[in-house]
Amino acid sequence: MVASETRDSLTELRRGVLEFCVLAILRGGESYGFDIVRELSSGELLTSEGTIYPLLSRLRRQEWVTTTWRESDAGPPRRYYRITDRGGRALDTFATDWTRFRVAVDGLLGGEVREGDADGH
Amino acid sequence: MDCLVARCEKGMQMDTEGLVRDYLGRLEAAAWTLAGDRRSELVGEVREHIEVALTDAGRRDEVTVRNVLDRLGPPEEIVSAEVGTDAASPGAAAVLSHREGRLGLGAVEIVALLLLTVGGILLPLIGPLLGLAFVWASTQWTTRDKIIASAIAVLLLILPVLLLFSLRAASG
Repeated sequence: MVASETRDSLTELRRGVLEFCVLAILRGGESYGFDIVRELSSGELLTSEGTIYPLLSRLRRQEWVTTTWRESDAGPPRRYYRITDRGGRALDTFATDWTRFRVAVDGLLGGEVREGDADGH
Repeated sequence: MDCLVARCEKGMQMDTEGLVRDYLGRLEAAAWTLAGDRRSELVGEVREHIEVALTDAGRRDEVTVRNVLDRLGPPEEIVSAEVGTDAASPGAAAVLSHREGRLGLGAVEIVALLLLTVGGILLPLIGPLLGLAFVWASTQWTTRDKIIASAIAVLLLILPVLLLFSLRAASG
């Protein structure tokens, strides 16, 4: 029960940060759906790979990314995603907020671990 | 023998194409709530993903296809992510602003609460009555909130008088 609740909140957390992870990947250079997915999956950030397409569609509507179709050496033409200035600014803001968030959570979790140890011994 | 192998491979090819077709069919069915152009775009994107994944794998056997489809996740989940991006954000914002409006305490509300509580001790009768004036002046609280606050204040004002009378009656 507790384990599944923890997983649920992990899913929520993932959902919140995923779009910025995509922007961060695109900041390293334009990329296409399957390649973005491959990079996210290796970091356990994406469980159902298909859900990236609704997310990419939203980023497009928000004008955080633009797309261009390109021929590929193998297989069908691919839609490439490129980060916009607006997307870059959103990513910068998130990076600042995230650092603050991470430090705060780490501080609390670290404190809890120490307390746990003190109780345990 | 060669013929048998060829037929076998052809059969397998058909099977895996069937798997992909079934998957895309389920996606299309689940996506019926989406706007027409977005629905065909989403199905196209997923179809392209499968194609690129299979090209990347360099094989199209059943195991490879099943793995690609499994990793994509259930079509229903993809569609619910699509719906979630459209509907969840404004809805959540509306709930939040509603809640903020109900709980938000401005200067008027704080003065009202102080007069109703501490005011009753420092300035008996006058404090709570002034507090009620502030309660009714609030723009944040609803009429229902104000009626409840007034009822409680009046009850607290009457209670000591009632107690006094009942004590008198008991002793007399």
